[in-house]
Amino acid sequence: MPWYSVMTLIAIALVVALELLVIRSGIFRMRAFWIALGICALFQIPVDGWLTKLSSTIVIYNPDVFAGVRIFFDSPIEDWGFGFALMTLALALWVRQGRGGDESPAVPDSALVTGGGAERD
Amino acid sequence: MQRFQYLIVMALCVAVTLPLEFILNARVYRRPRRMFGALLPTVAAFVVWDMFAIRLGHWTFSPDYTTGWKVGNIPVEEITFFVVIPLCALLSFEAVSNILRDGWLATLRAGVLGRLMPAGRRSGGGTTGDSARSEELV
Repeated sequence: MPWYSVMTLIAIALVVALELLVIRSGIFRMRAFWIALGICALFQIPVDGWLTKLSSTIVIYNPDVFAGVRIFFDSPIEDWGFGFALMTLALALWVRQGRGGDESPAVPDSALVTGGGAERD
Repeated sequence: MQRFQYLIVMALCVAVTLPLEFILNARVYRRPRRMFGALLPTVAAFVVWDMFAIRLGHWTFSPDYTTGWKVGNIPVEEITFFVVIPLCALLSFEAVSNILRDGWLATLRAGVLGRLMPAGRRSGGGTTGDSARSEELV
């Protein structure tokens, strides 16, 4: 049973649901969120690659529990879903907690993706 | 030394993203309450997943490249990972937000010189909150 694949999908669904229904930080509508995640995903290639490369593996995955798709230096593709869930949860909580009275608006207009992809700036 | 490999990778992640805090004025470490507020629930959730995954044998760790120090059945490296990776994300997000809102110049200026460009010089949306932001310490 590909438990890692299953758990990764559940984690993504849980984090997305948590953000949309409970935390409601609005990050999915923020350009900065997607750009930052993209940058982090790129840096994940060497970091994750170093941890999972098959030549001298640091984190060893049981081959029975993931889909078997290894990308970039043998990292399981699930790792990117894991990373998405991990970073998105932290970012949603961070932005949500910026909504206190002692802080500027957590979602400045210029950080939002406006309708139809038209952006200010 | 080999057994510190995983921890060294984590230390490099911290080192590489540290300039974002200052040069691009991310101000994550300087808002510790908010930082911990974001990190603690995240670490807790992923530690629970990790604990079960390790118990069920989904993944294991090389004894050659990890310290062997553990909390319960979880290597300290994993807990470090759950702190460091979200931190990198927060720093990246704040740096990108600053650049989108204030532009490169004003962001660098605020980060390096500790002050913002005069309000009239900034491009785009942000009309409020900059002075509040630079005062805010949490």
